[in-house]
Amino acid sequence: MATDLSGRSGEMGGIALSRRVLLGIALLVVLIAAGYVLVPGFASYTNIRSMLLLAAFLGLASIGQTLCALLGSIDMSIPYVIGSANIILAGLFNWGVPPILACLIVLIGGIVIGVINGVLSFRLQGQALIMTLGVGFAVVGASQILTSIGSVYAGNVLGEVPEWLRDVSSIAGTTFGLPIPSIVLIWIAIAVIIIAIMAKTPFGRGFYAVGGNRRAAARILISEFRTWTIAYAISGAMSAITGMTLLGFSGGGFVGVGDPYLFTTLAAVVIGGTSLLGGWGGYGSTIVGTLVLIILTSLLVGLGLSYAMQQAVFGLLIVPMVALYARTPNLRDQI
Amino acid sequence: MKNDFRPRFERHQHLVAPIFLIAVLLLVAMVRAPQLFTIDGIGGAIIVVTPLILATLALTPIVLVGRGGVDLSVGPLLGFINVGLVKWLVETGHASPITVVAYIVSAGVLYQVLIATIIIYVRISPIIVTLSGYLVLSGVNLVILDRPSGVAPEWMQSWGSGTSILSPVFFILIAMVTFWFVFSRTSFYQQILLTGANERMAFANGVNTVAARFGAHVVAGLFTATAALTYTALIGSGDPTQGNTYTLAAITALVLGGTSLAGGSGGGLGSILGAICIYLISYILSTYNFGTVAGFVTQMSTGVILVVSLLVNNLMNRRVRAL
Repeated sequence: MATDLSGRSGEMGGIALSRRVLLGIALLVVLIAAGYVLVPGFASYTNIRSMLLLAAFLGLASIGQTLCALLGSIDMSIPYVIGSANIILAGLFNWGVPPILACLIVLIGGIVIGVINGVLSFRLQGQALIMTLGVGFAVVGASQILTSIGSVYAGNVLGEVPEWLRDVSSIAGTTFGLPIPSIVLIWIAIAVIIIAIMAKTPFGRGFYAVGGNRRAAARILISEFRTWTIAYAISGAMSAITGMTLLGFSGGGFVGVGDPYLFTTLAAVVIGGTSLLGGWGGYGSTIVGTLVLIILTSLLVGLGLSYAMQQAVFGLLIVPMVALYARTPNLRDQI
Repeated sequence: MKNDFRPRFERHQHLVAPIFLIAVLLLVAMVRAPQLFTIDGIGGAIIVVTPLILATLALTPIVLVGRGGVDLSVGPLLGFINVGLVKWLVETGHASPITVVAYIVSAGVLYQVLIATIIIYVRISPIIVTLSGYLVLSGVNLVILDRPSGVAPEWMQSWGSGTSILSPVFFILIAMVTFWFVFSRTSFYQQILLTGANERMAFANGVNTVAARFGAHVVAGLFTATAALTYTALIGSGDPTQGNTYTLAAITALVLGGTSLAGGSGGGLGSILGAICIYLISYILSTYNFGTVAGFVTQMSTGVILVVSLLVNNLMNRRVRAL
């Protein structure tokens, strides 16, 4: 489909992309200014640090969603993998598994789930939404059963979290003596790597090729199946990392810790300007979307809005943001 | 006439998996929980399963009309109608049957018309529009009613007892199912299917795709309204969050019933069977003594069944295409 769209990817694409990012950055500036004026203490170091920390979690979780969106697909298993990684890691600590080994097990588990998601949703084109949701359900159910064995606190795993993990991702964490949790720096490093790969390497450009026009991608020998599987594998890995570091943030395993990431990862991708139809956008846009969501949340909390109202505001924000740059062409123009 | 068999089989082959699954589940239920097959058991089952059947039927036309449209907001809309009914009508004493019906129908239909308008004229993908609807409504519901409270209208309070099969909820279910089958015999329904199967081709062949999409959403609004009514009868009060769970349950039921999320293929009978499957699965699982992990077992089996039934549907579609 849409062979008429492929011709646009030249200069037009560049202009459209920069306009989207500029728009997001403009929104960011407005939000920061509003926060500075309306909320006392908004620009204090404590608040900035906590916003950066929350942005790091959301940013890491959104990497996979961005890659899937570039392919025109979606990954709904992210919140469930995050919650599972969180309680499984806490469970492994409780069972006395060495911390490094425990983290490796969880990371590999995340990648395996990602590969399963990728293979299945590639095979069932167009059903990725429900497929990944089903896999997510199965995973989160299984990990809760696993961690509940011999415990009375179903869904919660209490226990000792190692000092170093708390240093990585708790609000009071430090990096080499600097008063900033390392996860923020890790996020920035991963973000730079991802953006560079997506922009400069044939592997990264392959995502745009497959998402933009899969028949053309196949003709230039890009394996659609491989790209698809890798996107979901990265999504699984990043969700696992988010889940593990959230354990350091909260200090106790709780399966519901992933729930907010179901819609916020999607919102970060969409508000940033990556089209869910595939082929357009990138992780740079998602970072802007992530910061918009986090700063807006901080602003709304500062103004005293309840969680329910915050959700409603997010919802109201999505449609106009998408309407600005991700409208599908009129049916008459598609024939 | 002789070659009539294959097209008919193709049209109904998506029902093979759900019928097989229901048969297996009924057999298990007969062994595990014979009390399900008493008057009380069936009466109770109808009360519980009706909101899910109606919510799944509400999703069906929206999915059939295509563009990958799944109404993620069906659950929060159900909750919205429920809390609005309890808060705005019952508490102010305006809860006569006529005002209640007028309220639920107009709330359901107006919301769906708004969603359809955004999808058609702003041209945003349906999943984003209904995602935004999910977020807005689930927030608004909590603002209207911050915790489960209130009561259903007085004339509705005996509906949820489920001590006989022929309860008012049962008659609502029969009426709405009849409505669905009349609707699915119309040429308008055919136009919805054509639009969902290939929108460009339908448009080029003179199908009014805009009308088909609006129509699908209006029908969805009617079904969501009645789902909300029977849901209110089931819980007998207002609940701002419980309705949200119907989104995932209804999508699962729809997929179990063999309707393709890609649009254009599937149907209402599959959705009804799918919803019954979901009910039977949770009912059978509740007869096992899983203790504190019961909820997790249900979640895990829902996921596994979802994935397996998608794969089965996919395999069968390939086989039919190969014939």
